[in-house]
Amino acid sequence: MWHLGRGASFVNDTFQPPPHARLMNQSTSTNLAEIYRFLAQSMRYPSPDWMQADYFSALNTFLVELGWDGEAQTIRRAISEGADWLEPLQVEHTRLFVNAVPCVVAPPYGSVYLSADGMLYGPSAEKAKAFYREQGFDLAGEADIPDHLTFELEFLALLAEEGKDQEEELFLQNHFRPWFPHFQARVLQKGRHPFYGVLVNLIDFFTREEM
Amino acid sequence: MALNLTRRKFLQTASLAAATAAMSGCFANRATASTPFVKKPFTAPGSFADTTTAVGGVCEMCFWRCQLVGKVRDGKLVKLEGNPKSIDNGVSICARGNGGVKLLYDPDRLKFPMKNVGKRGAPEWKRISWDEALDECATKLKAVIDKYGPHGIAIFPHGSSAKYPMTFFEHVIGTPNNSEASFFQCRGIRDMAYVATLDTAPDENVDMANAKVIFLLGTHLGENIHVSHVKRYLKGLENGAKLVVVDPRFSASAAKAHTWVKIKPGTDTAFLLAMMNHLIKTGKYNKAYVEANGAGFDKFKAGISHATLDWAAKICDIPARQIKEVAELLAANAPNVSIHPGRHVSWYGNDFQRQRSLACLTGLLGAIGVKGGFVKGKGPKVGKSGWPKVNVEHAEAHALHLMAKKHQFSPPGTPTDMIRETAVSGKPYAIKGYVGWGQNPIQTIPDQALTIKMLQQMDFVMVCDVMPTDITMYADILLPESSYLERYDMIKTGTQWDLSGKQEQYITARMPLVSPTAADHERKDSVWIVNELAKRMGYGQHIPVQSELEMTNKILAGANLSVEQLVKEGGIHVQPGVDPYGAVLKVNFFSQEVADAGFPGVPTYIPVPEPPKGFARLVYGRAPVHTFNRSMNNAWLMNEMPENPVWLNDESAKKMGLKDGDRIELVNQDGVKSETSSVVKVTPGIRKDTIYMAHGYGTKNPAMTVGVGKGIDDQSLITAKAVDPETGAHGMRNNFVKFVKNGKVLSIPA
Ligand code: SF4
Repeated sequence: MWHLGRGASFVNDTFQPPPHARLMNQSTSTNLAEIYRFLAQSMRYPSPDWMQADYFSALNTFLVELGWDGEAQTIRRAISEGADWLEPLQVEHTRLFVNAVPCVVAPPYGSVYLSADGMLYGPSAEKAKAFYREQGFDLAGEADIPDHLTFELEFLALLAEEGKDQEEELFLQNHFRPWFPHFQARVLQKGRHPFYGVLVNLIDFFTREEM
Repeated sequence: MALNLTRRKFLQTASLAAATAAMSGCFANRATASTPFVKKPFTAPGSFADTTTAVGGVCEMCFWRCQLVGKVRDGKLVKLEGNPKSIDNGVSICARGNGGVKLLYDPDRLKFPMKNVGKRGAPEWKRISWDEALDECATKLKAVIDKYGPHGIAIFPHGSSAKYPMTFFEHVIGTPNNSEASFFQCRGIRDMAYVATLDTAPDENVDMANAKVIFLLGTHLGENIHVSHVKRYLKGLENGAKLVVVDPRFSASAAKAHTWVKIKPGTDTAFLLAMMNHLIKTGKYNKAYVEANGAGFDKFKAGISHATLDWAAKICDIPARQIKEVAELLAANAPNVSIHPGRHVSWYGNDFQRQRSLACLTGLLGAIGVKGGFVKGKGPKVGKSGWPKVNVEHAEAHALHLMAKKHQFSPPGTPTDMIRETAVSGKPYAIKGYVGWGQNPIQTIPDQALTIKMLQQMDFVMVCDVMPTDITMYADILLPESSYLERYDMIKTGTQWDLSGKQEQYITARMPLVSPTAADHERKDSVWIVNELAKRMGYGQHIPVQSELEMTNKILAGANLSVEQLVKEGGIHVQPGVDPYGAVLKVNFFSQEVADAGFPGVPTYIPVPEPPKGFARLVYGRAPVHTFNRSMNNAWLMNEMPENPVWLNDESAKKMGLKDGDRIELVNQDGVKSETSSVVKVTPGIRKDTIYMAHGYGTKNPAMTVGVGKGIDDQSLITAKAVDPETGAHGMRNNFVKFVKNGKVLSIPA
């Protein structure tokens, strides 16, 4: 059951996976690619374009299947009970990742955490871009900041899709893990809405080093 | 969460299929593109690592507008340099110019339009779309116009990209309430005083490179850096020019001076009058020039005859002998002397008269149109582009200073103080819409509490900026503008920096060095923003150009140039120039126009308030690595000068028990205490009645994560405001402070 609070445009009570998904014989890699994409999308600005009942339904299924029932419940409660569930998420996204007073909490760019001056597009960002290139990918926009969180997750999806397990691990190790925990810590510490706390923990779960 | 479930285990479980199946379905009809990547075969390393040079940059870290090139590596701006084709700044740029890279990649930069869903002053931002932002701005501004008239809107613009919005509001909407900080809190007084005296605004046009004497009044070149300006100054010194510096403080210029006149602040006009009186009495002025070009000289001569050396010596607290020496040094080297007009001159509220005196001194020495004198380079002509003057009559009929018959020498626009008073009192009419563009009035205008009151009573506050400066906290809708490194927005023309060099002229346009668009932000340029606003407000038919590029090309077409052609020529078009020497200007020593307006027609010294017992006068100035608040969040520049030490006379410090480096706060005559602290700089190089610090520090806006709370904000201590009667511009140096150390207030001995 998935109910959005007032202001949601529709309620999706009976989620059914689309036929192509059910028929597909998915490999682990494709599944992982799907997960990275889902995580990347989840960190984009909350907009009714994509953030609807079926999104929350998918997130809920995902969390429950993972055994993260508590988290699933927290998000369900936050989204279902708020009179207007979208605006608080938008305000929180803006405050955490765009601009805010007292300060933008957690800029979602690697080099903010990795370079001494805390600026965007530091040397580590250039290295990430070089790695994309080596793997045969380039950013669509000429001035795109390479180490934006959603780019790195989308890139991991591409690697997973191509079955490049080793490269995926290399990217995580050299480019992603050096900064993500710092970003995660800020979101966990300063977040006011449970959604992003759960999301960064999810991202961490799928990107952290496994012994 | 299930214990011990790892990613690996999860990916092997059957539940994975259920989880991801839901995922792949949920974005089926989403509008956004699914991947920000394109496939591109890998080419050998090195082929893309090459650095390219982008030409056509024009710096805006300060208003001097040096010409730049950008070193771009793979879409990233790595370095800014002077454009080798420049005949102005050449290959040199200053530290702030270099720091532009950091502005570009500052994580605190504004990225998306935002709506304040919290309160003015304590905002909670929500990112919104451009459509929503523009619709709301248009509706709210239109509502103000419908209810209160076009004059119900006030605009506070700054910088070259603000010209397009400014003229839209003035010419098309028809509001007179335009407060340009560069006029009313800076150079407007100078320009208006020189126009009244020499019939031309001076800018900083003194031929220092070829002068025999350079005379600086308060100007502190070296701490105040504009590349070609400083080049002229240094060349002059290198060529043996004598330097006279009039300043209560041993500034960087005073350190190079042959004569440092340690003047009492506020008394400069008395000093200038006494020098002129002395030269007239002893017949040492340039009689030929004055006879041929002087107007009202006899009245002037009589009007300043009371200004003896002893009279001024007492007022200015300097030896009479020194006043005489400086006067005679200037006369002995006339006409090849640079009487610098200054730039930021809104000091004490008696400034128009001082600036008139400087212009008269220039005329008295005949230092006009000659080597080393007041000489304007002859720049090239270009075309024009802009909004048609649809509703300017309305603007003129509602200009507050004209209605009140005050401040007849106001620079273009309306005196800031009148706008603010009117907004707060509602008299003679209501001002209910605020449009801010690149200006931070919280830090530029004295009496912050009143400015905030003005903002709080508005029906609507819209701000467009690059960085989240203090004013942005008061916006209802906040719009992000592309920076000067990512846009077209102005044409810059001029001549070679050394006026006596090979005569050349240049034309350049500001062009983007890197792309203004990227996936993580939606910044726009002012032409686009204002056009969209104009359409939504029903003024679409007046739009003069469709884009910033079209505007640039239109202006360049007047010189048979285009952006394309400029790029071919390395970003700057250089053509043969015209000898600038030989110009003759009429000098209104006595000004009938000024007298008719009810002000002294002969330059007159008007005393300013004295420091109360235990206080010293707070003066402020520039730091070489900062351009006020604008550079305060720049990590590179803040690293160079992280706070603004407060200068205190060494003998006073001793009596007060303060040591160099002690951490202190300041409290002013109205009991206003600085919210932040700084350190004391103990020095013999400042008068006992004067306290000095660099301006622009101590920003209150926590969104400026680098600059917030560093050093002391002088503007927060400037609560007693003075208004220059002729121009209506602010005087900002009539405030007095004491020190506070560990909570204890320390009086400053006289
Ligand atoms: S003087 Fe410095 S900050 Fe000013 S325009 Fe030139 S390089 Fe830029």
